[in-house]
Amino acid sequence: MALLELKVNGQEVRVEAPDTALLLDVLRERLALTGAKRGCETSHCGCCTVRVDGMAVHSCVVLAVRCEGKAIATVEGCGDGMELDRLQRLFLEHGAVQCGYCGPGMLMAAQALLEQNPAPTLDEVKKGLDGNLCRCTGYTPIFDAILAYGRGE
Amino acid sequence: MADDYRVIGTPVVRPDGAEMISGQAVYGPDVTQPGMLWGKILRSPLPHARIRSIDVEKARALPGVTVITARDVPDRRYGYAIEDEQIFAVDKVRYVGEPVAAAAAPDEERALEALSLITVDYEELPAVFTAAEAARDGAPLVHDELGPARSVYLASWNPVHGTNIIHQASHHRGDVDAALARADYVFEDTFHASQIHHSYMEPHATLAAARSNAVTVWTCSQEVFQLRTLLAGLFAIPESRMRVINTKVGGGFGGKIEPRLEPVAVALSVHSRKPVKIVMTRAEEFTAAAGSTPATVTVKTGVTKDGTLTVRDIDFLWDTGAHAEGLPPSNRAMKDGNGPYRVHDLRISSTLVYTNKMRGTQLRGLGVPEGAFAIESQMDMIAERLGMDPLELRLKNILEEGDINSIDDVVQSIGLRECLVSVAKEIGWGEPKPANVGRGLSVIAKSPTTHSSISSAYVQFNEDGSAQVLVGASEIGQGMSVVMCQIAAEVLGLPVEAVGIASADTGTTPYDRGTFSSRVTFYTGMAVKLAAEDARKQLLEVASRMVEIPQDDLAAAEERVVSPAHPELSLPFREVLERAHSYERPILGRGTYGGKGDYPTLPHKAQRKEYVPGWKYAAQAVEAEIDEETGIVRVRRIASAHDVGKSLNPVSVDGQIIGGVVMGLGYALHERLQFDQGRIVNPSFMDYKIPSSQEIPEIKPIAVEVPLPEGPFGAKGIGELAIVGIAPAIGNAIHEVLGVRLKELPLHPERVLDAVESQRKRNGG
Repeated sequence: MALLELKVNGQEVRVEAPDTALLLDVLRERLALTGAKRGCETSHCGCCTVRVDGMAVHSCVVLAVRCEGKAIATVEGCGDGMELDRLQRLFLEHGAVQCGYCGPGMLMAAQALLEQNPAPTLDEVKKGLDGNLCRCTGYTPIFDAILAYGRGE
Repeated sequence: MADDYRVIGTPVVRPDGAEMISGQAVYGPDVTQPGMLWGKILRSPLPHARIRSIDVEKARALPGVTVITARDVPDRRYGYAIEDEQIFAVDKVRYVGEPVAAAAAPDEERALEALSLITVDYEELPAVFTAAEAARDGAPLVHDELGPARSVYLASWNPVHGTNIIHQASHHRGDVDAALARADYVFEDTFHASQIHHSYMEPHATLAAARSNAVTVWTCSQEVFQLRTLLAGLFAIPESRMRVINTKVGGGFGGKIEPRLEPVAVALSVHSRKPVKIVMTRAEEFTAAAGSTPATVTVKTGVTKDGTLTVRDIDFLWDTGAHAEGLPPSNRAMKDGNGPYRVHDLRISSTLVYTNKMRGTQLRGLGVPEGAFAIESQMDMIAERLGMDPLELRLKNILEEGDINSIDDVVQSIGLRECLVSVAKEIGWGEPKPANVGRGLSVIAKSPTTHSSISSAYVQFNEDGSAQVLVGASEIGQGMSVVMCQIAAEVLGLPVEAVGIASADTGTTPYDRGTFSSRVTFYTGMAVKLAAEDARKQLLEVASRMVEIPQDDLAAAEERVVSPAHPELSLPFREVLERAHSYERPILGRGTYGGKGDYPTLPHKAQRKEYVPGWKYAAQAVEAEIDEETGIVRVRRIASAHDVGKSLNPVSVDGQIIGGVVMGLGYALHERLQFDQGRIVNPSFMDYKIPSSQEIPEIKPIAVEVPLPEGPFGAKGIGELAIVGIAPAIGNAIHEVLGVRLKELPLHPERVLDAVESQRKRNGG
């Protein structure tokens, strides 16, 4: 076991976890942050996407211990906990959430994309979401939400 | 269409959207209970083997661990249609992945360690892996005895005892053989539809808590009431003490209808006396949950010289794997197998066969995608032979208002022609295009669920004048939650934000058969509409006594009781409800819908030429770029038009269409569970690829509105049809470019190249 010192959504937390613990498991099982979802265990579905120092990563294949000293951001840090932020609202207005299981991961991937490229083209959005699978929406409403954000809507 | 609805037809955002997109929604894998253990299942490594012995002593010696096998659970069989399954394998295993034992421990690692200490001594048996092999005389038997069937299925169940044929049925009218002999042309072709996986993003997850004399199960299910009945029967406790609570469901597509983890979780909880949670891994999903039920479809069609279809003879052979969950699709194909066409003489036969593989079950479209691939591919073959335009051939033969359909129902409220014409126009049918670009069409239909379709709803006014909808149907992502709130809000004269919804908890919500077969908008929607009307009537009764104006002169609008006859009246709901809750009674409206009483269904149905509401119709058109050198098919555009009756929420309708089309794209181009001696060899999202963001074409959803008078505000179901018909439309586009006809799914590059190569050989090239 190791005592990890992590910075999650701007807050310093200390948590005990095995040396080999994955970031996803620490978030879900030790910190009760269940917004990041487990969908495949093999880094293919992207439901577990969180941001580490701004970069979108699949937390199911990242060791928690490697994230010490870095800024970890999860969906729970979006908005102010009660009110949704602009990107979240656009996701809902465009119907980008059906079953919602891929939603938090999609949102984190979209945030990372928009930070690097504030007004992406459709092709750039498609590339930016390549690490995130969705079985319900057919992706198009998700593209629309991100493009609308880029247009400042 | 001009109407004066306030809420119906507007793009209202889902009431449960915010909790989902902020990560607060509680899905199956997110549920916890104090003192909870983790469960894991030991599964068979062999496709068919006798179990000589199971040694669990070492595993049980681990501290804090509970281990159970078939000896520790009730010796009862279960299944929604055919009771052919037990919690753990008894005597023999029938597929790779069948549960043999299970362990519960304080953490997953310990539970897995326990499983690793169990030894099972197997004696391998000869196995069968294809439906054709399994249907032959003398094939090894997957089940030594067939059945039993649940009582509601008994009348129509037709097994061939002593074989692997668990169900065989046929439906015919007219003299098919004579009509085929008379036809100017007869086409006969055989097509194969592959087994695909539902691939909902949320894996199956169940938490069961057996406490003193009651059991509570949290699970991500499409049908909580059927599940409760099954679990209560299995564990011999009254349904009053078996409560099934739906968690948020992260997608279903037919894969979360029948029980999966629930019986094992309950058994582990009973034995450990602690709450037990089991979550499937993605590999377990692919190897031990279920896939679609694949079929081989042989179609014989008779046509006159002018392109009139006269007769069809369709034969389906379904591979249901080790359990008979393929029964619903195999039966549905007998109604829907002919597609939306007029033919005078018709025979449809359907045979469902056991094999030693993971089961096939229901999957979005329920037996329709398999038939449509055959029918809609062959329609283009017929058009080519007759020198007709495929669009013209379809327009000439599709069902129209007043026609008699395949099962002798009178056709009403059909917008199919408009769907077909609009997709053809949208895709640019007949317009010039490059030589490597092909276009293809399909038309499709799906019948309503005529039995098993009971829904009920409560609509309750709160004390402040807002309202609560309670329904037992499951929100699985389709958007039921918003549509039910819209229906209630429209009826009650409330803003949609003032309506809340609770769904699918057998302890609190009224009975609903569940979420399947595009039925919820229609059946549950009608139940909610009736319940809201009942609640409004009760509200106006109380108001009538308060203001001393006859109830018939009162109306509900904008959260107030008003009266056209008394324009000065403007009584807030809140005041009426204060009165109701203090001096009269809380207002609880009830509504039920469905239950036509016409069971048993098709094979035994007399010719009746009556009207059954709720048939669904759609047309699809694709434009694809085909690379002759690589065999790669790149779909550029898809137009998908659906006769939705009335679009209750345009964002939800577009979402169902686009999502279904993309699932259809995977089904068409690359999805297939691959087996080697009964073992699935592609059990991950790396080897089993579902469509990803980079391959999404431009998709144009089109809602055609031909109102269904029986539906809520004229609406029909929309959930499934968009997956159907994409595969043949792409196949037709490939044929247009390369001149080859692919009869086996998926239409992946190897198959395209093989077809081109064999065509070259045939042409002596």
